[in-house]
Amino acid sequence: MGLIPDFKKIATRSPWIYRINAGSCNGCDVEMATTALIPRYDIERLGCQYCGSPKHADIVLISGPLTVRVKDAVLRMYEEIPDPKVTVAVGVCPISGGIFRESYAVLAPIDQYIPIDVNVPGCPPRPQAIIAGVARAIDIWRERL
Amino acid sequence: MNFLTIFARNLKQGPQTEAFPLGPAFTPDRLRGRIEFKAESCEGCRICERVCPANAIRFAKTPDGMTFDCWHNTCVFCGNCEFYCPTDAIHQTNDWDLSHANVDKFDMVEHGLIPNQKCADCGATALNTAPMVKNAKPPLSAEEYTELRARCPKCRAKYLKNRKVPA
Repeated sequence: MGLIPDFKKIATRSPWIYRINAGSCNGCDVEMATTALIPRYDIERLGCQYCGSPKHADIVLISGPLTVRVKDAVLRMYEEIPDPKVTVAVGVCPISGGIFRESYAVLAPIDQYIPIDVNVPGCPPRPQAIIAGVARAIDIWRERL
Repeated sequence: MNFLTIFARNLKQGPQTEAFPLGPAFTPDRLRGRIEFKAESCEGCRICERVCPANAIRFAKTPDGMTFDCWHNTCVFCGNCEFYCPTDAIHQTNDWDLSHANVDKFDMVEHGLIPNQKCADCGATALNTAPMVKNAKPPLSAEEYTELRARCPKCRAKYLKNRKVPA
């Protein structure tokens, strides 16, 4: 009984990040990789780490306007992430469609298919902006846990 | 010995990591970020709406005048609007922190209103836009500018035509 609050304390320190590319042009993906991998923007100070499997993730970063072709794969992947999860839309594409808005091949905005919590607009957003978005997501995630 | 020099240099310089979000972030002065609109210097030519690749800018006619809206969630920071604006009414600030909760999605709008006015000459209702006076010779004085601005487009043309130009 007494162990559970302690687990909570430990668990809230390190949200793991998973990255879904929903048909992005890779611009935002490069910025996300920069955010995580380059010591200059080192996101691991916030306890975050990229993970390879959706089953280990706590925070999901989604980039891209959700093209028709990847829709099923993205939704299946999103289902695999355990609750409570926080979703961050990176770039203008998942938020509104950006320059691909009203295209026949694009299903944006993505929040009609997936509940989004935090938006980080930009084309692509700066690494600092992504860090700000992730910091916001961590606050939401701590409340939910 | 090389590693010792590197070690000493690293000790001296400290970490390369930026302090953000625990401290201020480095921001270049000319970073292309959030759009800022000044309604009082807008000419109403709507070229920004036309050149915007993402259709982020929208003008609409309302009973009060013409409204300007730029949705930051579609803007791609390309800077076309600033480049083509003849009167420098649109600017890109270096504000990059636009992250927000999804419920505030539709509040991320830069809004501006170009109000209607009654023409000082003919009394017709027209937009109080900034007049196009770049090519006026000699340049207009501040007094002439306010007089010109208080008129409708037709009366502005008349005003410029009948203007006494010293030879």
